[in-house]
Amino acid sequence: MMPIWTKSGEKHAVTLLKVQDCHVLRYVSKEESGGRTAKLLVGGKNVSPFYKPESAHQIFKEAGVPRKQKVTTFDVTDDAIIKPGTPLYAAHFRPGQFVDVTAKTIGKGFQGVMKRWGFKGQPASHGQTKTHRRPGAISTNKASKVYRGKKMPGKMGNVYRTTFGLKVWRINTKHDIIYVNGCVPGHTNCLVKVRDSKLPTCKKHNKNPPFPTFFADGDEKLPEDLFDEEIFQFTDPSVTY
Amino acid sequence: RASGDGKPEKFQPPPKPVIIDKQKQRAERRFLSPEFIPPRGRTDPLKYYMERKDMIQRRKVFNIPEFYVGSVLAVTTADPYANNKTNRFVGICIQRGGKGLGATFVLRNVIEDQGVEICYELYSPRIQAIEVLKLEKRLDDNLMYLRDALPEYSTFDVNMKPVSRLDHEEVPVNKLQVRMKPKPWSKRWERPKFNIKGIKFELPESKMKEAQKWSQPWLEFDMLREYDTSKIEEKIWKEVNEELKK
Repeated sequence: MMPIWTKSGEKHAVTLLKVQDCHVLRYVSKEESGGRTAKLLVGGKNVSPFYKPESAHQIFKEAGVPRKQKVTTFDVTDDAIIKPGTPLYAAHFRPGQFVDVTAKTIGKGFQGVMKRWGFKGQPASHGQTKTHRRPGAISTNKASKVYRGKKMPGKMGNVYRTTFGLKVWRINTKHDIIYVNGCVPGHTNCLVKVRDSKLPTCKKHNKNPPFPTFFADGDEKLPEDLFDEEIFQFTDPSVTY
Repeated sequence: RASGDGKPEKFQPPPKPVIIDKQKQRAERRFLSPEFIPPRGRTDPLKYYMERKDMIQRRKVFNIPEFYVGSVLAVTTADPYANNKTNRFVGICIQRGGKGLGATFVLRNVIEDQGVEICYELYSPRIQAIEVLKLEKRLDDNLMYLRDALPEYSTFDVNMKPVSRLDHEEVPVNKLQVRMKPKPWSKRWERPKFNIKGIKFELPESKMKEAQKWSQPWLEFDMLREYDTSKIEEKIWKEVNEELKK
């Protein structure tokens, strides 16, 4: 995470996400998948092929791509289908867009009810016998059962969670880095899925994206760094009021 | 010059004088700002590289001078609510923290009998000028104990003139031992964990001995805590210098 300043002098914290060897692996049509839209399987981060059986390499061989550590699905409309094997770059997103980021949260292991669900526990003194962090009562007398989904101790973290509506401040095309506002679930250097935001307030900011994606061998030559309009770039002199 | 042979000796020219250019010798003093050195961790070095590029870019446009904890600085920032839209603060640097773009330094001064500390971010675009009025080092890296010292040690004249010094001289170390206000202090500065050398402790011997109970002499031999930054510093120093010269 890094600080970033706007032209009016306000500071925002920003997370850096690197787009590392992302390729489109397969196209699954609407009828095949059984969903509402067609799907595209996308793989990230190259990894050694020697630790998985040959059968697992099928998808990667068809696409002509080394084995990827993570394969995810994206729901796509029919006009945004991309040929399997095309690489995806950070320039797929532009500064000013809003983005949803999904990742597996940091695993905390088996945790008690106070940390996992934020229960208040019991007082530390005034006669409490061996009861300081326990859940207390778990149901009423009339119910005569414990409801399903009762908040109890258990494994916490290591679950997929999404943060919605994060603004993209800056894109570095040379190293394929996206600077995203705020914090993102997951530990440092973990794998993360970045999608266009589904929030209705962010739709107007997401107009005119590179469609269906940014092709590196196309005609468009982008500069090394793309900044949002409000960002203070370090080539400018200091801010004055 | 009696030659025993009688033959004429071959002319030996006198040895060439070796010219030692004292200016060049002295200019080898290096200073790498501490926020360039990456902390120990599992972050990708690419992140520190991107941050360093931004830091160097800012340094090309705005001059961040060399200073240490204990030097007196004057900082002018842009302030939307002030008369001149600028705000000038003079103070002694008591702490330098943070790494990368978020590096900060805290300036302390006593203005009209009220101690004031302001924490500035080195790379914030609102800072318009940083002048070093007096460049010197102190015996400690962290002068937070000045909060519990007598106010005379933290007062600096707001209209102080910069103290002139030659470029090639070593940075002077001020071995001042500061006198403290009566206890209680905000922290127990006599304890060995703070390792403070710049206080003149006027506490009785028994108190000083009792403070040594909290010493942890095994810490200096703990190999897992060692973080040797010399090679990293060399690389970063070369990289930063090359970029700044462009």
